[in-house]
Amino acid sequence: MKFLTILKQSIKAIMANKVRSFLTVLGIIIGIGSVIGLMSLGAGVKESIAKQINSLGSTNLTITSGVTAYSKTAYMSSDSASKAQQNSSAMLGSTQTLTPADLTELEKISRELVINVAGYVSSPVIFKVNDTEQRETLIGVSSDYFALYDLKIASGDSLPESDVSNIVLGSELATNIFGETDVIGQKISILNTEFTVIGILEAQKESSFSNPNLQAYITDTNAFKLFDSKNYNGIVAKAKSEETVDSAKAEIEAVLLMSHKIDDKDLADFTVTSSKDLLSTVDTVMSMLTSFLAGIAAISLLVGGIGIMNIMLVSVTERTREIGLRKALGAKTSDILIQFMTEAVVLTIIGGVLGMLLGYTIGIVAGKFLEFSAVITLDSVLLAVGISSFIGVVFGIYPAARAARLNPIDALRYE
Amino acid sequence: MPKNIIELKNISKIYKSEGGDTLALKSIDLNIQEGEFLAIMGPSGSGKSTLMNILGLLDTPTSGTYILNDQKVSKLKEKQLAKIRNKEIGFVFQQFNLLARTTVLDNVLMPTIYGNIPNPRKKAEELIEMVGLTKWISHKSNQLSGGQIQRVAIARALMMDPSIILADEPTGNLDTKRSEEIMALFKEINKKGSTIILITHEEYLAQHASRIIHIQDGNIVKEERAK
Repeated sequence: MKFLTILKQSIKAIMANKVRSFLTVLGIIIGIGSVIGLMSLGAGVKESIAKQINSLGSTNLTITSGVTAYSKTAYMSSDSASKAQQNSSAMLGSTQTLTPADLTELEKISRELVINVAGYVSSPVIFKVNDTEQRETLIGVSSDYFALYDLKIASGDSLPESDVSNIVLGSELATNIFGETDVIGQKISILNTEFTVIGILEAQKESSFSNPNLQAYITDTNAFKLFDSKNYNGIVAKAKSEETVDSAKAEIEAVLLMSHKIDDKDLADFTVTSSKDLLSTVDTVMSMLTSFLAGIAAISLLVGGIGIMNIMLVSVTERTREIGLRKALGAKTSDILIQFMTEAVVLTIIGGVLGMLLGYTIGIVAGKFLEFSAVITLDSVLLAVGISSFIGVVFGIYPAARAARLNPIDALRYE
Repeated sequence: MPKNIIELKNISKIYKSEGGDTLALKSIDLNIQEGEFLAIMGPSGSGKSTLMNILGLLDTPTSGTYILNDQKVSKLKEKQLAKIRNKEIGFVFQQFNLLARTTVLDNVLMPTIYGNIPNPRKKAEELIEMVGLTKWISHKSNQLSGGQIQRVAIARALMMDPSIILADEPTGNLDTKRSEEIMALFKEINKKGSTIILITHEEYLAQHASRIIHIQDGNIVKEERAK
């Protein structure tokens, strides 16, 4: 039996009952549509998060104090338990361990690996201007912080090296506090210390992670005094290039382990995170979420498949005499089986293709509303066609086998 | 002496059912010669349909030997039977002969889906011309009259150059005039050398045949030659 002939017959049989065929594949269309839609939305969200993370600087390495979940587990294992006892400060995950001395050590790393290092300590505090009070984020920064984040002074001066009580404001924050009046030289009282505004930053691009326009900056030495602390919240190091990120990370870890006098890397009381690490975490989470949602959507594919089986069974009954006639004219059992299987698979592939279009439409429309672009991948196209033909085979085989098993005499006599 | 195209020896068919076995055919012996026009007559329940099903390889006998065109076919597997049905037997049924919503040409071409012949399209067109339906070649089966449908079926039956043409009450749904036209067509085909087996219960139709056998209660009870 010729493949093209079978295909033509199948399409003809499907087109003979257009409305019924459409209603039958509707389940597949919705199923594939929601799977593809969710997948392309997921890919879109992932991409936009990746963009946000990269906007932090793809070469930036963030060093935070405390331990990772992984190294915490290492503390719990019996052989390292005694070691951990000796390192009591590291036991407390939240203890801040990044000191100005660490920063000095890190600054000694070769410029071939790390071109810039800056420490910061931040806290929300009450700003008192005249008699009004408001809560704002104050960040104490080391001297290279502005250079590292490419923050530029719009008016006035940058923070001085000395510990004069000066403060630099983000552009938005300046307007929020002082409105349109001349800001430079104004006084702000924070935790009973009076700061003089010395400069305003240029407006910066904000990300979901932080908005530099809404923050205020003082020197780290002033911040340590103000917060009564000796530690940075974090240190940011800028690797020379994307290629050196990994080796820079290793070098930073080595330097800090040395200065913290820790031998075992698993016991480190700090964590170095590159945007790549962050990306891979986001990637994992998003992939899990996407497959979970797509899995739920796939249930409708199961329902759609049952619909296909149901209609194919009806079709076999309706066409009993056709089957009898075909057998009388020389159709083998396998010919009938192939004919009805092809019909089911063609039906589901049509559903798959329509569902794919629906899915992309969902992705594009939802993307417009949620302000990110849905991403259409080749994977999802192959998935749609693959899954739908698989459903055709699985749910088509029973009706087709019933058709093929019909006795030609009974089939011809069937009223 | 022309050779026997069909030899039935001692053919019996028993239908088993819970209410007891039914003996539909009782040791039938029948030879049909090449080029013969045979009519099989009998009332309903006589076993003529069973005989037709066995002759057409749609059913297998419970016992006995069936030799079709020098090949013993009584004990073949379904797959081989399908192949022989395709090559050696042309069917014309009483009703539901054609695929609905399918053109005359595609209906005539149907046997070639399941078996190969050289240049099927040209052959189909010739056969359609022979049965006088060239004008209707692209019409769909539901646009045809009863007589035209049977003509398409006859053209289709001839498509694979079968050893026998098996016509089961082919004029059962037609009026007398149309029936005579169909019978004339069968006679014409027979004159060209095709072996035709006609199953009918109409005496006047059977008279077109060169030999008539009568079946009753699973036995051949009477045999007559054309006058």
